[in-house]
Amino acid sequence: MSNYIRVGRRISRREFLGVAAAGAGVAFLGGCGGGGGQGGGGGESYRLTLIVGVTGDEFYTTMECGAQAAARELGADLTVQGPEEFSAAEQTPILNAAIQANPDAILIAPTDRAAMVAPIQSAVNQDIAVVLVDTTIEKEEIALAQISSDNVEGGRQAGEALAKQIGEEGKVLVISVKPGISTTDQRQQGFEEAIEAYPNIEYLGTEYCNDDPTQAASITTSTLQSNPDLKGIFGANVFSGQGAGTGVRQTGKKDQVSVVAFDASPTQVEDLRRGNVDVLIAQHPNDIGNKGVRIAVGYLKSDKEPSSKQITTGFTTVTRENLDEPEVKEYLYKAEC
Amino acid sequence: MANTRTNAQQEEESKLGPRRVLPHLAGSAFIFLILAGLMIAFSILEGTAFLSRENFLNIAVDASELLLLAVGVTFVIITAGIDLSVGSVLVLSSVIAAQTMVALSGTDQQVQNFTYPNQAVGIPLGIAAGLLTGLVCGFINGLLVTKLKLTPFIATLGTLGVFLGTAQILSGGTNVPYVPPAIQTQVGTRQLLGFLPVPIAIGLVVVVVAILALHQTQFGRYTYAIGSNAEAARRVGIDVDRHLLKVYTLSGFLAGLAGIIDVARFNTASVGAHTLDNLAAISAAVIGGTSLFGGIGSIVGSVVGTFIPAVLRNGFVIHGVQPFWQEVAIGIVLILAVFIDQRRRGAEERM
Amino acid sequence: MDHTGKEVGVRGNEAVLQVRGINKSFGAVQALKNVDFEVRSGEVTALIGDNGAGKSTLINVITGVLAPDSGEIIFEGERVEFASPHDARERGIETVYQDLAVAPQLDAVANIFLGRERRMAGLLGRIGFLDQQRMQSETDEQLEELHVRIPDPTKPLSTFSGGQRQGVAVARAVMWASKVVIMDEPTAALGVAQVGMVLDLVRRVRQTGIPIVFISHNMPQVFDVADRIIVLRLGEVVAELDPKKASTDDAVAAMTGSLRGEERE
Repeated sequence: MSNYIRVGRRISRREFLGVAAAGAGVAFLGGCGGGGGQGGGGGESYRLTLIVGVTGDEFYTTMECGAQAAARELGADLTVQGPEEFSAAEQTPILNAAIQANPDAILIAPTDRAAMVAPIQSAVNQDIAVVLVDTTIEKEEIALAQISSDNVEGGRQAGEALAKQIGEEGKVLVISVKPGISTTDQRQQGFEEAIEAYPNIEYLGTEYCNDDPTQAASITTSTLQSNPDLKGIFGANVFSGQGAGTGVRQTGKKDQVSVVAFDASPTQVEDLRRGNVDVLIAQHPNDIGNKGVRIAVGYLKSDKEPSSKQITTGFTTVTRENLDEPEVKEYLYKAEC
Repeated sequence: MANTRTNAQQEEESKLGPRRVLPHLAGSAFIFLILAGLMIAFSILEGTAFLSRENFLNIAVDASELLLLAVGVTFVIITAGIDLSVGSVLVLSSVIAAQTMVALSGTDQQVQNFTYPNQAVGIPLGIAAGLLTGLVCGFINGLLVTKLKLTPFIATLGTLGVFLGTAQILSGGTNVPYVPPAIQTQVGTRQLLGFLPVPIAIGLVVVVVAILALHQTQFGRYTYAIGSNAEAARRVGIDVDRHLLKVYTLSGFLAGLAGIIDVARFNTASVGAHTLDNLAAISAAVIGGTSLFGGIGSIVGSVVGTFIPAVLRNGFVIHGVQPFWQEVAIGIVLILAVFIDQRRRGAEERM
Repeated sequence: MDHTGKEVGVRGNEAVLQVRGINKSFGAVQALKNVDFEVRSGEVTALIGDNGAGKSTLINVITGVLAPDSGEIIFEGERVEFASPHDARERGIETVYQDLAVAPQLDAVANIFLGRERRMAGLLGRIGFLDQQRMQSETDEQLEELHVRIPDPTKPLSTFSGGQRQGVAVARAVMWASKVVIMDEPTAALGVAQVGMVLDLVRRVRQTGIPIVFISHNMPQVFDVADRIIVLRLGEVVAELDPKKASTDDAVAAMTGSLRGEERE
């Protein structure tokens, strides 16, 4: 009769080595890590975790640089994490894991006003101080503080800048990310308020590119198809602005169409130099990150809540002319610290 | 036909029922060891930050939707097919479920004031609508593959766009607002018996049913047979087209169920999310030992394959590893796991 | 003919399956021309012929894959029509295909019961649960009866040698064939030892009384195992040879229609 398989066959040497290698690899990577994960032994050295909205976005990278600078200055330990996709489904597991590491404070840019409330509440319940940076949540009050640009004001500045560029008349379009994100919605709002004051400016409305620069570019080119006399575009965030610039370049219309873009990523600055974009409204993410860390550490040291829970940071209007001036240059976004 | 069996031989044979499932499990044993190894390593490195009930429950809840996608995709891949549209089906189902709940739980005015007089009807109907959406999407995929004879890669690549686009049209590109919070409190964040989160319970039930279906029923047998040699299956009289239709419909249904869980967890339909879920689900199946060439795979393997990246990410974040290094590490684990598994398999086969 | 009107073959074996006057054309090409063919119980009937002689077409007619243009098929004394391969299988006619038609990732039991799985009793069975134990023991019986040795019934067929896979394919056909087994080039891809095993298998099947139709290009094997040799050429039956009396040369001559062969007739 045939032999039957012996169930639960023994592990071969190769397999054992494979498993050991996996374990060793993890331990090795521990050495490469951002230095978090130490037990809470070290006196004044507070442990902070910054969770950005999406990795690879220079706005958040610049925020990270500002936060790291403040952390170094104050002797705090800062780890940075973030999801690959700007969504609650991707950010929640990261926040949950970060909470497990039991840092003293978490700085987070929430990816969904409603969905992130529960996990953030969970952090607060475990005595972890939470600072909201850039975007916010519905139950804002559970956090220690909320720091962002005054996006309505920023939108207004963008509206004024664009009106000036196009001689206060003509058709304009707004390209935003998607409705429901507090920051970009406020910029749109500010922009609309500003251009309302100009009777000769025709507002074509807002299109959403879902944070995809390729989509923003195709929105630009197709709007130019249906409105060949388009004179101005406002891109409400990094990828929207980048995509608008690309679209304008592709259609060769950079002399006709003025583009005002929010944010000043390296690609956008390049677009500005080349003339595909005319004005950049740079936020100060560096300040947001910096202030966020200071407020967190200040609270941890003194155990007193900050005097103001709502902090706004400013803007810098960047043009081809002032691009290289030192006061402007420091506010251009960085791809790495 | 003389029966020359001895008592000893008869005894051995009677043990064979359960033994026939075990070879499948033995194949997944290696990948399970890797998962166990990772968990041990992180437990040693991080202590109770990693090794805690709360952390494990979080990992499981966070992975619950992907688990359903991975189970569905496993059936499809075993038939030597593929389903790239699962993320889009999830999103479309969540949009239709959420919008149905909002529409049927009260008038516009009531709902925008966060009152939901009819939610006892609205929520279940919304769930049914979401599940039905998944079913229909899967059925469409099946029709494209069996009736139009499109290769599954192309068919589901196409429907990936169609379903996602439909979701964006229906929702206006924005997350669905005013979803009755009861779906979140009663399903998304609820814990059965005081400790078992509903998403995990749903995942468990689906996994158990899938294991039985794949390994103990004719449906599962035909799934393997068609993946191994569809022509041979046809020749013995198996209706291959009809079976494939069922398999793709199943994958769609599970994606729809994942969409319901998504609405329950986040109290909205997130239209811009889940863009990378299809690859994550396929990776989970492949890490778990499912062969893209068909005929080989297991549910247990896919479960383990779902949790290996989830545990890695969790441990890395707790430890503080930079996000980009995390992706490199996860990619390396995927390659290593599949490589070692294929070497092991190849050693046994003869051409 | 005996008193019941059933055709009785030379050896006194009953004719299980007969085809009379079968014609089949594909467009302008006539693949089968007025073919009479018989399969008798307890006999191995070899069907030989050059490429294009019509062997596959004839087999396809017998197994219900193709419908003949004219002529009749008589099965166990009754006239029948096969609308599909399913009809032929239902009547107990099974085929071992040249490419084996097995699922390599499945094990022997799964392959043998493919499409005909045994289900559990009661409600469980109705929702599809398989009776694995029963299928396993039935497979063991069948394999033992045919002296088919396989290394491990729980391992996939891809781990078996060609001959072992052939053994499983034959066992499958024999298990389900209550009336006729057809084997298309069963030894084509096998080594010497494995060929012997398959031919032994053929003889053992014959012993059970089930007739076998054996298609092959290999003359020595054909003469070794067949009881009758039917030669097809250009769609017609040109000879019926008794392997005990005729020689390989006769067979080849009949296949190719050489002058020598025609003279001898």
